[in-house]
Amino acid sequence: MAPFPGSDADYSKDKARRDLLNLLEGVRGKKNLVISQGLAGPVGLFVKFSQLQEYGVDRVFLLENGNIDSTQRNVVFLAYAEKIRQVRAVAEQIQRLQRNSSIDHEFSIFWVPRRTLVSNNILESTGIIGDVNIAELPLYFFPLEQDVLSLELDDSFSDLYLHKDPGCVFHSAKALMDIQQRHGYFPRIVGKGDHARRLADLLLRMRKELDAEESSGLTGLSSRGLLPSASTESLIIIDREVDFGTPLLTQLTYEGLIDELVGIKHNQADIDTSIAGASSTPQAQESSKASQQAKQGQKRKIQLDASDQLFNQLRDANFAIVGDILNKVARRLETDYESRHTAKTTTELREFVTKLPSYQLEHQSLRVHTNLAEEIMRNTRSDTFRKILEVQQNDAAGADPTYQHPLIEELIARDIPLKTVLRLLCLESCMSGGLRPKDLENFKRQVVQAYGHQHLLTFSALEKMELLQPRSSATTMLIPGTGTQTGSKTNYTYLRKNLRLVVEEVSEKEPEDIAYVYSGFAPLSVRLVQCVLQKSYVMSLMKGGPAAHANTASPGWLGFEDVVKSARGSTFSIVQKGDDKAVRARQTLSGNNATKTVYVFFLGGITFTEIAALRFIAAQEAPRRNIVICTTGVINGDRMMEAAIEKGSFALAEA
Amino acid sequence: MAPSNPLANWERLGTSFYRKIPVYYSLFDEDVELENYIVAGAPYGGAIALYRDESKPLRFRDAQPGKSNIDIYSRSGKLINRLNWEHGTIRGLGWSDQEELLVITEDGTVRRYFGLYGDFTSFSLGNGSEEYGVRACRFWNSGFVALLANNQLITVSNYNEPRPRLLAQCPEGEVASWSLIPPAYTLSRSVEVLLAVDKTVYLVDPTEAEDKVLQNGPFKHASVSPTGQFVALLTAEGKVWVVSSDFQTKYSEYDPDSRVTPRAVEWCGDDAVVIAWEDEVHLIGPNGAAARYYYDGTVHVLPEFDGVGLLTNDAYEFLHKVSDVTEAIFRLGSTSPASVLLDSIDLLEKKSPKADDNIQRIKSSLPEAVDACVKASGLEFDAHWQKRLLKAASFGKSVLDLYNSDEFVEMTEKLRVLQAVRDFKIGLAVSYDQYMRLTPEKLIERLVNRREYLLAIRISEYLQLPADKIYVHWASSKVKVSTVDDEAVCKLIVQRLDGKPGISFEVIAQAAYDEGRSHLATQLLNHEPRAGKQVPLLLNMEEDEIALDKAIQSGDDDLVNYVLLHVKSKLPIASFFRMINTRPMASALVETTARDEDTELLKDLFYQDDRPLDGSNVLLSDALKEPDLPRKQEKLHLASRLLSDSKDPTLVLHQKLINESSQLLKVQEALDKDLAERSEFFGLSLNETVYRLIRSGYGKRAQKIQSEFRMPERTYWWLRLRALVAKRDWGELEEIGKIKKSPIGWEPFYNEILGAGNTKLASAFVPKCTNLPAEERIEMWVKCGMVVKAGEEAFKAKDVNTLELLQGKASGPAAVEIGRMINQLRPKK
Repeated sequence: MAPFPGSDADYSKDKARRDLLNLLEGVRGKKNLVISQGLAGPVGLFVKFSQLQEYGVDRVFLLENGNIDSTQRNVVFLAYAEKIRQVRAVAEQIQRLQRNSSIDHEFSIFWVPRRTLVSNNILESTGIIGDVNIAELPLYFFPLEQDVLSLELDDSFSDLYLHKDPGCVFHSAKALMDIQQRHGYFPRIVGKGDHARRLADLLLRMRKELDAEESSGLTGLSSRGLLPSASTESLIIIDREVDFGTPLLTQLTYEGLIDELVGIKHNQADIDTSIAGASSTPQAQESSKASQQAKQGQKRKIQLDASDQLFNQLRDANFAIVGDILNKVARRLETDYESRHTAKTTTELREFVTKLPSYQLEHQSLRVHTNLAEEIMRNTRSDTFRKILEVQQNDAAGADPTYQHPLIEELIARDIPLKTVLRLLCLESCMSGGLRPKDLENFKRQVVQAYGHQHLLTFSALEKMELLQPRSSATTMLIPGTGTQTGSKTNYTYLRKNLRLVVEEVSEKEPEDIAYVYSGFAPLSVRLVQCVLQKSYVMSLMKGGPAAHANTASPGWLGFEDVVKSARGSTFSIVQKGDDKAVRARQTLSGNNATKTVYVFFLGGITFTEIAALRFIAAQEAPRRNIVICTTGVINGDRMMEAAIEKGSFALAEA
Repeated sequence: MAPSNPLANWERLGTSFYRKIPVYYSLFDEDVELENYIVAGAPYGGAIALYRDESKPLRFRDAQPGKSNIDIYSRSGKLINRLNWEHGTIRGLGWSDQEELLVITEDGTVRRYFGLYGDFTSFSLGNGSEEYGVRACRFWNSGFVALLANNQLITVSNYNEPRPRLLAQCPEGEVASWSLIPPAYTLSRSVEVLLAVDKTVYLVDPTEAEDKVLQNGPFKHASVSPTGQFVALLTAEGKVWVVSSDFQTKYSEYDPDSRVTPRAVEWCGDDAVVIAWEDEVHLIGPNGAAARYYYDGTVHVLPEFDGVGLLTNDAYEFLHKVSDVTEAIFRLGSTSPASVLLDSIDLLEKKSPKADDNIQRIKSSLPEAVDACVKASGLEFDAHWQKRLLKAASFGKSVLDLYNSDEFVEMTEKLRVLQAVRDFKIGLAVSYDQYMRLTPEKLIERLVNRREYLLAIRISEYLQLPADKIYVHWASSKVKVSTVDDEAVCKLIVQRLDGKPGISFEVIAQAAYDEGRSHLATQLLNHEPRAGKQVPLLLNMEEDEIALDKAIQSGDDDLVNYVLLHVKSKLPIASFFRMINTRPMASALVETTARDEDTELLKDLFYQDDRPLDGSNVLLSDALKEPDLPRKQEKLHLASRLLSDSKDPTLVLHQKLINESSQLLKVQEALDKDLAERSEFFGLSLNETVYRLIRSGYGKRAQKIQSEFRMPERTYWWLRLRALVAKRDWGELEEIGKIKKSPIGWEPFYNEILGAGNTKLASAFVPKCTNLPAEERIEMWVKCGMVVKAGEEAFKAKDVNTLELLQGKASGPAAVEIGRMINQLRPKK
């Protein structure tokens, strides 16, 4: 009984588009749009530039470039009001325009996702609050896919773990409240991690506040929100902090590898034209042919989402079998294509012709992905990649990390990217509870000498994030069996054994366990989700046999309380109760057989491999459950490291 | 009382009828001399404001110099409030949709009175209004335009965040009259003003003033119809013209035959114009048809969008066009189905069988007839006819098999509400159409403003609307007027509001605080469930610590930042730090903000908190930004000192490395001076420096730096290898190859050199890789294209299979050679 039709993804997409266009329509005439970098990409997820043009947008500028000019009288700013830096940038640019421009500009600011007190304060102190029209644009979840909703907060990881700024927790809570208001309250909130706990608390508090605001309760419309949802089963919140280890590993699914090597942002990847081919639309090709030939090695944005059928087939597969799939598809396409010769009658021929565009589309996508896969293959075959992977796999499997050290030292001397080195060090630190102080000092010295002394700051940041730490003598992390103590660190050694994180002989072709995404290592974060959703399966993994007495229907962490304690942070399972009578009435009305939605929220970011693993679970649970993945943003190990890496250097600024 | 004739006060005007409904009688006492007052009425039959017109002479007996009031009455003549006025000459008096009274004085100060009881906010128009003075103002439902003495126009379109804006520069000359078109009805979406100057009219919008080129001015009156389509103009000869608002078409002309200039020209709905003199009113319809009304005293015209209110000492009347439904029912000789249906009610009451005949006759159009009766009932002001019409509708629908009664039910609800608020004690003369446009919520708001709490609550319960605002308003005014002690008031309020959802205690507390009862405010705030809501008030009350805690509780980082910003500017820095250092979220946010804007604060914070590492890191990043070496050195020195002073053993390495970086910079500067023309080494990492030196052929210096900085041997070897390969210095590499041992083994040499494409030199290193298994060495040979050598390796390992494989790859003499080896290995039988 969904009160609104359509999935969450479609809903938020629609709403976001409507809201933005409405606001744009409110500004009369042509206008220049100044958008902050962090929003430019996400906005592209729900609205096309041509559509913006229809609504009078003449040119788009990036706020960070600070190059807005006076070509239009109307200037519209679109920025996050919660980011003080962006607010200041907006204020500065408005002041600059007012000073320098002869035109009497009309300024509008659309604050995302809400107008904040601090932004008011800043505009007031710069004396421009009276000259601008201010509106709110409540953008929260951006739909990446039908089953993936992301807040697309690029800084969420560094904010949360480096700066300890919980702003994005509040942001997430607001976003989840939106979902609750649409579907009713999550009947149960299960979670792991301190920030997750905080998020859950905020949700409870906001519910209370909403109840308080719920005007008199007589109105039929708002009373719906008072009830736990019938279509939702639960919300599972996983704090990234619980499992820092997983994203530090190199992702081995197709999509994950593209992300590692090229980078995927807001469903788009910048890929060399030599791989992706020139622009796909023929008219664009003609117009820019000259420039395209002139600049070799140009990048082209390609869209990577479910609209590309082939990609949809490939994305979550382990890279090892991508070649096979591509071959198969190529062969099928060819036979399909050849069918034109066998077409005898005109109807057959017509049928073929109607299918032709789709063949061509598929053909094109096949070419792009074959090239891309080859490019990735070239990378994965390289000496350094193999060595990096070797270190990672050994760390993940729990081998003595000191054996890896010479290899890491070699990689440093060979000047591989700093992020990669740090990833390896952090991985070791996470997996084995820190580095020996002597080793850590040694590596620090080497890294600083190899990449610059400014990275002393990088190390401080990593230590603050608790990604890279000296192993304190007090922690007895390496001794198994002490897992029952609730640590401030995730005890991988214990969990590896008790949750079977390492699965040998995993079949990449027909995977039986989520471990396939890392070719043998199951992401802890997703394993935890399984502890909630697939108890009997995890039980059988632990006991090594079929589930004996596990009650699969038992909710929350039940059955795994002890095991889960070994992961970092608090563990909770909260039931949100509503009016009992109403709940029961609704249950009898809707019956219990309907598909229930489980929202899995990754606070602090999720990797593509984890998404793949969750989809793997979703496929197993398919008719009974529907899993919607929510996150603050998509991350990978590199992005985690970038949060810490100091960007400045000792070099003198060139004049 | 006998029911009034429904046709009473109907006036035919061209093809349609107008009627004047007396709503209230005997409004004002004799001593209120309406002719001496400026009167402004709030839209939708709201309150009216009376202000003594200063241009009129005062009669001697009530001469009270210097003392004047703005009186606020209900439409039924009940005095609601009297505002003392001593703020100068009033140039504009008007109302907004929200029933806020706007008073604009000559010097450009705007006072916005909300809630009818004297609460106000004020702002200034600026833009030269102080200098030139405001001459007049015109209002629309959410804004106004002020005309300055220099013909400049200033508009304010939003009272919550007033932004006075100039319209385009206007022509010089005497403004004879003017009017505005509300933004909702203009193409530019901004308010537009019609300015009658000299003989013509200008249309002024924000960008330009357009001359409409008319000849018949000066126009003494200009008035725009409610939908902005038409304009009524009073020409110099005293004729009334109705033209389209683009001045392209003239629709009608009317000559009132009067020398005296009318006092007001207003629109009555969109089809008729009312012109009023002191005691005479003409209603002009399309094509110049007119009706005339005469009065004993002064009449004031209060325009509405669907008619006009006529205010005299004796009565308040509502003049409006009779709607088609009403006309069809009541018009003499009407045979419309609805009319027949109404008739049959009479017959029914007389128990006449004709009632059924009637019904049968209109059977086919009965549903429409019922609809019409329902609709018409809403338009009646008289309860008798409302009942009558509803009865007819109810009779009609009882005959029908299937009829959706929703509208009927809703209409009864609406009529009950309308009747309740039209009562002379309340005095909201709102018509049905106005009520629809006003919405029930706003109507309740108006009741609350009049402190009619009971009625407001009853209505909101009746219509199932939220009542929280009513309670809050009640409590706020309770706080303001009550004189009992704080405890009692708080107890009373909490008791009364207990269990009512949605109550915002914060608003009540704010009211208490504004009254200066801060203790009561604090007490009330404790009942506010929303932590975030309490914060701004707490800050006002200088309860900074509590505000900060509440903000943190709410989890809203914006709120926390806001409090911090506030507190930081207020407190001395030491107490500010004391306040935040027990609150991790607060100090984290301070750190984040300070990192962008105020590193000095950051240093103080870390010093105060005794965090030497963080403090030294700030200095380190400062050092990165400094523009020259001495300053960088100085910062680095400071950073290092901070660490050494702390005597923390875990920081020793960090300190050492900072010193090292300072040393490195010094060395690099020297290198730049000696070897490079411009800065080439400065700022590189140690490894990069060594690499670049070797690549540029300064091997000696590289070696010196290696020992100086105790660079590990293995690292140095790798760097040398990579640099030499990049330099393509094969000779040097060959030289190195002659050394017996390499700390990194020889395989990297092979790989790197092969990667650079020199197979010959690469192959030289294959035999040195003695630690590798034979197969790999074979592979290495093959990669260099030396199959025979590979064969030899395999031969040594006695690996026949591999040899056979190799044979396949080889050709010419190499194949022969390998064949020979295979033969040698084959066991001779």
